[in-house]
Amino acid sequence: MELKQFVTTVGGLTVHYARAGRGAPLLYLHGMLGLTSFDEAFARLAESFDVIAPCAPGWGPAKDDLTRMDQGPLDLTLHNLDVLDDLGLDRVHVAGTSIGAWMAAELAAIAPQRVDRLVLINPVGLWLENAQGEDPFAVHPGMPSELLFSSADLRRKHVFDGRDKVDAHVGELLDLRASAKFLWPIPDTGISKRLPRIKAPTLIVTCEKDRVVPAAHGPAWQQAIQHAELTTLSGVGHVPEMEQPGRLATLVAQFLLERRVAAVA
Amino acid sequence: MKFHWFNLMPWPYLPDDFTTQHRSVWVDVDSRLFDARKANKVYNDYLDLLEFAEELGYDGIGVNEHHQNAYGLMPSPQIMAATLSRRTRDASILLLGQSLALYDPPTRVAEEMAMIDCMSGGRLIAGFPVGTSMDDNYACGVNPATLREKYYEAHDLVKRAWSDPDVFPWNGKHYKLRYVNLWPRPIQTPPPIWIPGGGSVETWDFCAQNNYNYSYLSFQGYVRGAQLMEGFWQHMEKAGLEFNPYQGAFAQQICVAETDAEAKRLYEKHARYFFSRCLHVHPGFADAPGYRTEATIRAGLTSQMAGQSSALNQAAALSWEEMVERGYIVAGGVDSVIEQMEKLARGLKCGHLVCLLHFGDMPNELCRYSSELFATRVIPKIRNIWGEYTDHWSPKPMAKEERTVPRDPSRGAFTAIDDTRPALQVATGGR
Repeated sequence: MELKQFVTTVGGLTVHYARAGRGAPLLYLHGMLGLTSFDEAFARLAESFDVIAPCAPGWGPAKDDLTRMDQGPLDLTLHNLDVLDDLGLDRVHVAGTSIGAWMAAELAAIAPQRVDRLVLINPVGLWLENAQGEDPFAVHPGMPSELLFSSADLRRKHVFDGRDKVDAHVGELLDLRASAKFLWPIPDTGISKRLPRIKAPTLIVTCEKDRVVPAAHGPAWQQAIQHAELTTLSGVGHVPEMEQPGRLATLVAQFLLERRVAAVA
Repeated sequence: MKFHWFNLMPWPYLPDDFTTQHRSVWVDVDSRLFDARKANKVYNDYLDLLEFAEELGYDGIGVNEHHQNAYGLMPSPQIMAATLSRRTRDASILLLGQSLALYDPPTRVAEEMAMIDCMSGGRLIAGFPVGTSMDDNYACGVNPATLREKYYEAHDLVKRAWSDPDVFPWNGKHYKLRYVNLWPRPIQTPPPIWIPGGGSVETWDFCAQNNYNYSYLSFQGYVRGAQLMEGFWQHMEKAGLEFNPYQGAFAQQICVAETDAEAKRLYEKHARYFFSRCLHVHPGFADAPGYRTEATIRAGLTSQMAGQSSALNQAAALSWEEMVERGYIVAGGVDSVIEQMEKLARGLKCGHLVCLLHFGDMPNELCRYSSELFATRVIPKIRNIWGEYTDHWSPKPMAKEERTVPRDPSRGAFTAIDDTRPALQVATGGR
């Protein structure tokens, strides 16, 4: 997956992004580990869409821009609008995973006219007393993203395979730092009061083995959004885009192409 | 050399099976293990020891800050420093210190330190640690991604509040105050500033830029500590600062007896209590993502790959002899402690030693015995090390004869009443 870059006209931030495929434009907003091990899901989505996958300010090659994202949802959403403007995209499908699903929901709530259809995969951002999930930021620093995967082996494979070990581990910690900046100490982002503003038909995807956003969060998102469907993926943790990219891409494509999605996939 | 008597104030009643039945001594430690009635004795015993240390002639007495833990019972070191400022006369009050980013507005720290400096007649040493991840991020909820930004901004604000005589606005990134105007203000302008740290290069730069004392707090002992301090001294030299051992401080566990065998018999179990139970920290609370900078993470990974364990409680598995040999603890009969201390002082090149003479569940009377032997028979033999250097990092209190002496309740009478004050005029003043 090759990353291109440009500088946003208004915000002046360098955007590192991948873009490929033909079809309706799909803005993909990544999860807590940025675009780590996203290649396969990206290729599968590009079979049906013109996929634009930017690195959010603070993640991966944009790590140093984290200090410019101090107004949380507002800064991030304005940045994503800058990206769309500079790419000349008026209206797009938007899909996001984890913290990216929260950003996708913010974008759809703050600028509903820019979002065609919306997919929120394991969305972070609500705090439910009865389904708190585990703390993704209180993990052994030697294996900091382990909680996101359904097994320790999968973390090793997706974080380290084909990369320099030190760089990969440092990258993992810095990506989590960026996530923590927006979600510390409790992932209550205030999105709940903005969800009713979303007009786009929405698919919520939860994952059965997700320890960070328990599948029980699905109904809460579904109820708060005007037109939302809910489906649950079995046997996957918080990062289905890495663990089961083909299955996830199929599900996303089905919904965006306005085909029926089963309640349990 | 200068010697500061320091007590972490651990909870001494953790059960024998603590490390197997509980995952952490910090953050989510079971509060049912705390007993407030026993704490009445614990706090008073610990404060007695600090006050006794002044009688023994230690140069300073030290307190620090930790939250939600059984490792150290001082969420508010200023409360400890305040009572010590009334109950002692000469010792420096080493407040090591206040984690600046935990206070909003941080001018609160400037205010409270100014109060302690005034009450003590200018005996305060102001310590500004970043604070541990357990304390700052997990117990107090400060965002690890912005912790250091807040820390540096709070530092700049406190320094300016202490020094700027005029009211000023502070329009910072993290703190906004329309009117900063410190009342009271410290006697020392400013108090000596010490930065406790664990070995990050950013902290060394910060000490170099501001000419602060760097206090290395580690529980890995003086043997490994000497390597790290060597890095610090080289860093100071590169920054163009002239070597002065008093710019460095080191914290070390110490216990003294008449013989090596007696030391082992008296202190080993209390050292084990410290190294196993008090340092039993859940790794998930040790290092929040963003707490360490990228440079420090990279340096840490390099040393881990070189086979150095970073576990806090690694000494717990060692024999007593190994603990002493590797410098985790300075221990033994008087002569052997003198020998170890000379090695320590030359190796670290530190002029200030923070003496952890109490550790773990050591009883009060045993700690007095050890502290007295160290003060009367060890310190006189090593005090002159670094005597040729001038210490710029100790307090400059008011002259003793100018300082007001608190009332002694055993004598009944009030002292130091200013008879020149026109009392009646005050009552009717302004009319």
